[in-house]
Amino acid sequence: MNNGRVSLKKVVKRHGAFTALHGIDLDIEPGEFFALLGPSGSGKTTTLRIVAGLEEASEGSVFLDGTDITNTEPGDRDVAMVFQSYALYPHMNVYQNIAFPMRMVGMPKSDIDMAVLDAAKKVHIEHLLDRKPGQLSGGQQQRCALARAIVRQPRLFLLDEPLSNLDAKLRLETRGELKKLQRSLGVTTIYVTHDQEEAMTIADRMAVFMDGQIVQVGSPKFVFDNPATADVANFIGSPPMNLMPAVYRDGVVRIGTHELQTSCRIAGERNVIAGIRPSSVRLGPSGIPARIDLIENLGDALLVDLKLDDMMIRARTGAELTSREGESVFFSAEPAHVHLFDTESRVRING
Amino acid sequence: MRRSGIASAVLIGVAGVFLTLWTFPVLWALLTSFKSERDVLAYPPTLFFTPTLGNYRDVLFGATTILPNLISSFIVATFTTILTMLLAIPAAYALARLNLPGKRAGGFYILATQMLPPVGLIIPYFLFLQKIGWLDSYKGMTLIYLTFSLPFAIWLLVSYFEDIPREMEEAALIDRAGRMRAFLYVVLPQVRGGIAVTVIFVFLNAWNEFLFAVVLGGNNVRQVTVAMFNFISVEQTLWAKLAAAAIVTMAPVILLGLFAQRHIVKGLTVGAVKGGGRR
Amino acid sequence: MQTPVAARERRFAIYLFLPAFLVLLITTTVPLIYLAWTSVNRVDLTSPWITGFAGADNYSKMLGDPRFWNSLELTVIYTGTTVVLQMLIGLGLALLVMQIPRGQGILRVAAIIPIVLAPVVVGLFWRTLVLAPDFGVLDFVMRALGLGSHDWLGDPNLALASVIVIHTWQWTPFAFLVILASLSSLPPDIFEAARIDRASGVQRFWYITLPLIRPALVIVVIMRMMVALSAFAAIFAATGGGPGSATEILNLYTYRTSFTELNFGYGAALAMVLLAVTLMVSYSMFRLRTAR
Repeated sequence: MNNGRVSLKKVVKRHGAFTALHGIDLDIEPGEFFALLGPSGSGKTTTLRIVAGLEEASEGSVFLDGTDITNTEPGDRDVAMVFQSYALYPHMNVYQNIAFPMRMVGMPKSDIDMAVLDAAKKVHIEHLLDRKPGQLSGGQQQRCALARAIVRQPRLFLLDEPLSNLDAKLRLETRGELKKLQRSLGVTTIYVTHDQEEAMTIADRMAVFMDGQIVQVGSPKFVFDNPATADVANFIGSPPMNLMPAVYRDGVVRIGTHELQTSCRIAGERNVIAGIRPSSVRLGPSGIPARIDLIENLGDALLVDLKLDDMMIRARTGAELTSREGESVFFSAEPAHVHLFDTESRVRING
Repeated sequence: MRRSGIASAVLIGVAGVFLTLWTFPVLWALLTSFKSERDVLAYPPTLFFTPTLGNYRDVLFGATTILPNLISSFIVATFTTILTMLLAIPAAYALARLNLPGKRAGGFYILATQMLPPVGLIIPYFLFLQKIGWLDSYKGMTLIYLTFSLPFAIWLLVSYFEDIPREMEEAALIDRAGRMRAFLYVVLPQVRGGIAVTVIFVFLNAWNEFLFAVVLGGNNVRQVTVAMFNFISVEQTLWAKLAAAAIVTMAPVILLGLFAQRHIVKGLTVGAVKGGGRR
Repeated sequence: MQTPVAARERRFAIYLFLPAFLVLLITTTVPLIYLAWTSVNRVDLTSPWITGFAGADNYSKMLGDPRFWNSLELTVIYTGTTVVLQMLIGLGLALLVMQIPRGQGILRVAAIIPIVLAPVVVGLFWRTLVLAPDFGVLDFVMRALGLGSHDWLGDPNLALASVIVIHTWQWTPFAFLVILASLSSLPPDIFEAARIDRASGVQRFWYITLPLIRPALVIVVIMRMMVALSAFAAIFAATGGGPGSATEILNLYTYRTSFTELNFGYGAALAMVLLAVTLMVSYSMFRLRTAR
């Protein structure tokens, strides 16, 4: 069965005394667009390179469609990769770059020709075939790298932050095209990024990496709605979730001197970290009083900075707001939107 | 990259072979220079013997002293270096950065002069210097040494000048420095490193020169490369003294090379990889 | 349309360039003309009364001079062999050293040593300490290996090979250092991409490494050829051109003719031929560089 099912089992990576990966377990379904998300240095790129075979795991195994490929050469794994720097061969033109992987395995010229044209058309660079990488714009280079990857019809695509070198507008456009392309090709794709918005919009499922470990796996929506730790909650979402130290007792959480209802049904009292997403903050006539510090107008929404005691809380609301900077308002949130995390372990409290 | 232990061992072995190959002659000469003439002739060659400084004494202070020759070499090399740099630095700057009329032809000319075989040029040099009485003189020798040091220095310096960002000079001009002052106070300090490397190379080449030294010199100007042959005659070779003389002659150059090694490698490769490759 | 500023810059440039240019004119172009003139004259210091225009006599003499043809042949063999050896060994060693990053530093330092030595000293080193029969290190090693003693520089059959070895020993480190620098400047990610693109080690070398270091290789070949064509001091010190004419490459023949036999006219003609050969070689090499 050759449909691109990936499994990582207890993968560890050490550099001398430093451990980059602390035992990664991951299962990726065939045809999935799977994102590896995390801040710099969290181990996501290392994981990708281990799947590619460019780096060796210190411990653990990698499986592709049930076969152990932990010790297989990159060229024999039937995977294709798009590098962050694109890694185009500077002395070859676009056609030769795309044709390269086919030449390496001795494909006949006519077949190569068809395959190259086909791949080039899919990414709309068929008119650039005799240019050299140095003569292409950033976006065109990226497409060329993409074409070189898809021409081989591999079992697995590995993309290492392929959009990070593009300007913002191009990034958005290309993002959508990438998603459509993957859907039409149906190839399992592993996508590394540090941009959580990118992962949210493009991935079917994702794994959040922090400090060399996977802290949560799930669909973007699930992770967004149920972050497994306060750090994940802080990382996902823009602006990030507001995290406030609070005291929980029997379903109610007290922030400073004010109380909010939660949907948690656990009995008892404990110190917690309360988390409310800016988009869940409701400004209105009742709730917790705070002072408006700053209003940023995004056009179709407002970002409001609220000051409560010595804490800063950000809210994101629709464009209607009668209060001004310096004035006091009340804010609240739906009980279901108040997330609770253990103060020490920072792990989510569910109940 | 995964590599077997055997492959690693082979790689290190080969590297070791070349390490030995390249350093061996100098080390062996060094060893020989401390042997007495009798020990030197011992066969098989000995590694253990009573070292003596006698050879160095003879070679530096004794009857077979090469000290005057060292001085000769030093004078010629120094004058050559100074003159070369005085001429080459402005010329290289003009070629690299300024709107010199006929720049391409000029650059090509400089390159072409490096193609002339020295053996060809010494004939006219010899005949000419003989005619004006400049044979066996420092001024004659230095002038002729410029033949090979000047084009080389210009070629090297051009690549260093090209490396400086243009904004430097433009900023200086906007600050009303005038071209000459911009050159002296803004541009030159930037190529300090390149100038140092060029000085090393020019001095080295002048110190090591043989053909011009032997043909155009005489009793007055007799450089150390020529004096080496003092120790070889039809009857005998004074092995140990020759070794000592060679060590004395080459020591400054080797020390200079080791000391400035990184810069020398950069200098060699700058011209070759960068300047030469992409034009 | 020339603004006064531009004109000032041009003048400034000329002032800076002129002194060096004039010196070079005097030290290279004028002597060249003089050399050409001498080559069509009779200038023989052993018979100083015979002077006068000789026309193409010196040149026609050359055509029938077996020693000349010998020297030409030796030059071709010498230059060709040493440059090929230098490139092969230099490239091989550089590729190898790229695999052992820790060995690079010390090998780079060691590589400097042969390059900074005076060629005349190198020739003497090899002549005495290494290759001398009954004395030199190589002799000792050969005898220990049971391969007998040989007169490396005195035997006409071995002398040419020996001087080629000497030249190669001195200048391979140069090729090594330049090629190593070029290899080091290649971005590593394209090699990773090639590995993923199913290229084997040999394929990566052939399709990626080689084309990308080609400019450096060509430059090195050109420079090494120029040096080999004008190599004098080491051979002079090692064999003086002998035994007989066994190592008498063209520039040594020119030297001997001019300064040992004092026939400057003929020597000048030989030098002109050497110049022509050098120019031809460098021209074709430069064409190679800009090809494709």
